[in-house]
Amino acid sequence: MGQIIISVGREFGSGGRVIAETLAKRFNIPIYDRHLITEIAEKTGLAPEEIEKYNENPKHRLFSRSVRGYSNSIEDNIAEMQFDFIEEKAKSGESFVVVGRCSETKLKKYPSLVSLFILGDMDEKIKRVMKVYELSEDKAKAFIDKKDRKRKRYHNYHCSGHWGDSRLYDLSINSSRLGIDGTVDMLEKYIRARMGEQG
Amino acid sequence: MTAAQIFAVIIFIAMFVMIVLDKIERHYVTLGSGILTLIIVFGICMRSGKAIWDTIAIKGFVTKDFWYQVTESESKGINWATIIFIAGMMVMVEGMAKAGFFRWLCMKIAFLVKCKTIPIFITFMIMSSVLSMFIDSITVIMFLAAVTIELAQLLKFNPVPMILSEIFCANLGGSATMCGDPPNIIVGTSLGYSFFDFLTNTGVAAGICLVFTIVFFYFAFRKEIVTEGSSNVDLSKFPKPSEAITNKRDFIISSVIFGIAVVLLITHAMTHLTVASIGLFIAAITLITSGKNALELIKKVDYKTLVFFIGLFIVVGGLEETGILELIAEFIEKISGGNVMLMVAIILWVSAIASAFVDNIPFAATMVPVIQSLAATAGVNLNTLAWALSIGTDIGGSATPIGASANVVGTSVAAKNGYPIGWGKYCKKLAPATVIVLAISTVYIFARYL
Repeated sequence: MGQIIISVGREFGSGGRVIAETLAKRFNIPIYDRHLITEIAEKTGLAPEEIEKYNENPKHRLFSRSVRGYSNSIEDNIAEMQFDFIEEKAKSGESFVVVGRCSETKLKKYPSLVSLFILGDMDEKIKRVMKVYELSEDKAKAFIDKKDRKRKRYHNYHCSGHWGDSRLYDLSINSSRLGIDGTVDMLEKYIRARMGEQG
Repeated sequence: MTAAQIFAVIIFIAMFVMIVLDKIERHYVTLGSGILTLIIVFGICMRSGKAIWDTIAIKGFVTKDFWYQVTESESKGINWATIIFIAGMMVMVEGMAKAGFFRWLCMKIAFLVKCKTIPIFITFMIMSSVLSMFIDSITVIMFLAAVTIELAQLLKFNPVPMILSEIFCANLGGSATMCGDPPNIIVGTSLGYSFFDFLTNTGVAAGICLVFTIVFFYFAFRKEIVTEGSSNVDLSKFPKPSEAITNKRDFIISSVIFGIAVVLLITHAMTHLTVASIGLFIAAITLITSGKNALELIKKVDYKTLVFFIGLFIVVGGLEETGILELIAEFIEKISGGNVMLMVAIILWVSAIASAFVDNIPFAATMVPVIQSLAATAGVNLNTLAWALSIGTDIGGSATPIGASANVVGTSVAAKNGYPIGWGKYCKKLAPATVIVLAISTVYIFARYL
């Protein structure tokens, strides 16, 4: 098998992370999501909780400044470390799945990149979040809005394209249509077709 | 207020807000604002070709005074002397960095004090101040912070207090000379001061403050920077200072050029060479001696900063030509009730507080015409106000992580190596240190000049 990099962007509650994990299992390749934090924690000696605090967070504009590519914002620096990390992995020829982290843009130059965006219907997303986080409907909705707003700001700050804009990804798919398993099956077929293998 | 004044103020405020928001790169912001000033304020509202011509100030290039100046004079509009000087120093610094000068110097000093933590802590603070007197603080901190982290990992101490102290001292050292910090270059070239004028005025203040600063940081951080384990260090395991030198010939040449730059700057009041000539000369000899690497050095020059300056000077020129800055000066005179002490204190502390949160370069560029006007109308000595402005803008920037370039670079280098420094950690020790140094400087100015 040649190199394959699967980038999974996702709306909160769409099941994107589960889809990414399942794809990683089916292709038997590592996945970088939470693991990205532990790897960076090991590399820098920082506590994973500390990285988690700043992970995929946009910086506070009023409290940050950049000078010649250096930024005082910890969010920015953690983001840069993660971009460097996935870039290194991609360069080394390793196959992997990466969740978020602007990977569809940051790894665009690699021909082996398959970029996906998983979205979902609001009522389905609310149901999922209510179940996973044990929240009431209102709270789940507010939580989804908050998380997506953050991801959008994070993405649009680090990339010129807009988060969730279909033109940025090879494939945007609504997971509410086929369900999680159906979506994974369909994506697996697509990825295998891209790899030139028979599904 | 006239239409020209209203537009000049709107453009200025919009520019400041955009710089703070950091959504568009700041050089585009100032250049765009500069073009708007030329078109709307000077062209449409004032219909004054002269104002445009005065602000662009290109004719200055062909005057002898621009390059060789016997009597000191004041400049207006785009401060080309500042831009040429900064560009020249950028070329020189790139040459020095490429040859490994800064890394070598840091390692050499660490070895001279036998890699013992507390002596490194103190000597690095002094080195940071001294280097920043001649070289931009961004470069100084870039190398100093990187070496500090390297030593911290070898010697197993926490590099954060040391980096914070180095940042503070870089800003303090920058205040000591005309070329140490961009606000000083602007104040110096706009008002016709020499390197020596700064050294004997703000330099003395910085020297006094440095002593207090070292004592303050020693007591503030001494518990945090104790090396774990034994105090005996095996120097043989450390990278040798000489390993930092990438090319011996380049290293010697760049050291000599740096020496020449220092001598030319110190003596420029006697040789009558302006900082513009010195910048151009230093850049030229760096490029000539670097041979085929010259193009690489030119490419590394931070053009964005130079464009940022050009745009900025035009916008400030808009405020100046329309008389807005005189209004501000009148306002300061009014609230101080003609009390000179209060006026000086306002200039120093307002400059400091503003510089802690916004870029001190636009602030200084704006305040220079204000203090000129204040000196003319209120009868205060212009020099006193100029030193208060320089010290305020240079030192005030140390108080927060975004106040000065060195702070941003230092905290960024630390974060990239696994030592994130948030606002809380930064301000806890550096904000009080800033207040102490400002208080000492205020007393110094009152005692010496009033």
